[in-house]
Amino acid sequence: MSNRVAVVGTGISRFDNPRFELHEELCAEAVREMLADNPNIDYPKDIDAVMYSYFSDHLAGQLCFHWIIHDYLGLLPKPAYRVESGGATPVDALINAFMYIKSGIFKNVLVVGFEKMSELNTPKVNEMIAAASDTDWDFPVGGYYTGYYAVLETRHMHLYGETQEDLAKIAVKNHNNATFNPYSQWRSQHGTTFITVEDVFKSRLISWPYRAYNCAMISDGASCMLLSSEETAKKFTDSPVWVTGVGLGTDTMRPGDRVDNPMYKGLYPEDEALYPDVSTKTASPYPEMANFGSMRTSGDMAYNMAGIDDPVKQLDFAELFNPYDGVELAVYEDLRFCKLGDGKKLVREGVTEWGGQLPCQISGAHTAAGHPVGATSIAQAAQIYWQLTEQTANKWKTNARALSGAQRALLQGHGGTGCQSGVMIFERG
Amino acid sequence: MTYRPKKIVEAFEYNKKWDEWAKQGDWSTIGWRWVEGPRGHRLDQLSSANYLVIQRPHASVYHHSYGMISKFFKGLLEKKLYGTKCPKCGLTFCPPRAHCWTPGCGLQETEWVELPLRGEVHTFSIMAFSATPFLKTLPFIIAYVRVEGCCTTVPTRLTNINPWEVYPGLKVNIHFVDNTKGDIMDLYCTPSETPDPSKCMMTAEGIERLKNDVRKVRDWVVGKFGEEAKPSVNI
Repeated sequence: MSNRVAVVGTGISRFDNPRFELHEELCAEAVREMLADNPNIDYPKDIDAVMYSYFSDHLAGQLCFHWIIHDYLGLLPKPAYRVESGGATPVDALINAFMYIKSGIFKNVLVVGFEKMSELNTPKVNEMIAAASDTDWDFPVGGYYTGYYAVLETRHMHLYGETQEDLAKIAVKNHNNATFNPYSQWRSQHGTTFITVEDVFKSRLISWPYRAYNCAMISDGASCMLLSSEETAKKFTDSPVWVTGVGLGTDTMRPGDRVDNPMYKGLYPEDEALYPDVSTKTASPYPEMANFGSMRTSGDMAYNMAGIDDPVKQLDFAELFNPYDGVELAVYEDLRFCKLGDGKKLVREGVTEWGGQLPCQISGAHTAAGHPVGATSIAQAAQIYWQLTEQTANKWKTNARALSGAQRALLQGHGGTGCQSGVMIFERG
Repeated sequence: MTYRPKKIVEAFEYNKKWDEWAKQGDWSTIGWRWVEGPRGHRLDQLSSANYLVIQRPHASVYHHSYGMISKFFKGLLEKKLYGTKCPKCGLTFCPPRAHCWTPGCGLQETEWVELPLRGEVHTFSIMAFSATPFLKTLPFIIAYVRVEGCCTTVPTRLTNINPWEVYPGLKVNIHFVDNTKGDIMDLYCTPSETPDPSKCMMTAEGIERLKNDVRKVRDWVVGKFGEEAKPSVNI
């Protein structure tokens, strides 16, 4: 018996700040969208188990929030539990659902992701997120996530020479994509006018080299996705999207511990050889503090499972985890879209823009579609599902960002400063 | 008191008003607003609705032990910098680890060593925004500094330098603040060499933009916090 895993339905409740509806109401809206789009789902009968994805108990002052959501969604007494791994939470929830189904224990697993970040003011939200860094070391010096990612990006710029203009170009690409997305926070707050590199430079400095438009938004929102075994998938849809690869990887909690990390030393000799002579070579030159080893490890595992050896050729598009624009550039390298140090070339040649060979972040992603942590990667997976089933034009009410004939896409998510990463490969049937 | 030691050897007792302040943040509702806002899961399907929004504070005082690496933080109080060294593989850690992580060392217990007050900037950022506790100290420079001989880097504040002059590789001296309190902010760094302008990471245009940014942040902090404002970067 085959035990392939399919995506058979999905929904999003739009990202914005604030959303005044309750967390459970946002989740209900996402599930209602999925049910409206796929009337073959007999709800709740067809749901065998649920994975809940949300990041911070602090942001809402509510522990075990999924118990509230679960009964609200009318899913008692079905098995359910919560996944939490910072920004990697939603991709981990999807991967867990995949593994549940692979195990044969459950046939249909619903994944529900949500977060409301608007209940605290912006510095306080940053403080609560910074509680997911080492609070004895990185946080007390005035660090918080934009700062941690900024020091990583400074190191990458120092070694590999991309500029703030390159980062601004990534911001422009993603924001302009988001202007078409009817679920995006940027469009809700700023409308549909395109931005330019100059606009990015005019936005306020947050942590050099990052300016406001280079950074993830603080958002409320929800999303859901139903994954099914091959035998039950055909009951729901004639056009399932298959999950053909998943991967996981980890790196240090404190980014400062990565310079000579003995666990990464010698793992990637081809990258170690590319270390430029602008700096004294560290003991673990890849990933060092410039790149993301967890993403390399998770990407390689997923590629191996899905039989991918040339991602730029074999993938049609990707949704990456881009809380800050330098991450997107580094991840191009970590996921082998190009050689180490060549991320800037992909930006300059427009490879990842709409119309390029491998468009990335067609949704707009974290900096423009919004980033309600527990919901983000599931919403990106929803956009992947709509692209692969050619529903985007209908969902977005425009074909400006709708792909035709796309076969295969990648989703990457991570938490912390790349402390943990997950990758999934989706393919149309 | 939630934290009960066998014996208190020495103490800097905190102001007990913190317990009172933390008690005040007890989740009680302190106010409300009846607001009008949008409703709907897509931007093209919005209607209007009213919502009741309450205000509810929460605060806590944590009694946190630094465990087996307490000597490092006690060292800060005494203005000494310690790291740990693995007797098996020879790696020196700062931040210290009580157990070595090197594959093959089997979580070997490490030994304390005193470290030199010298290091090198591995990477840095110029902070123009931050979490609540640090807003009044903006703008400032965070540098991850590799203390001489160590295999890891320590997050610190870097002062006595213009932000555009900082680059990875810059040699620094490590100092202690006058009134140490036993956390990592007891340390800060200053350059131990004249910055090499050829290693500057910014273009002339980028430097101008940064100067302007830093001025704006400093003005905002001074305007908001008045005499409490302590920007560590001045232009």
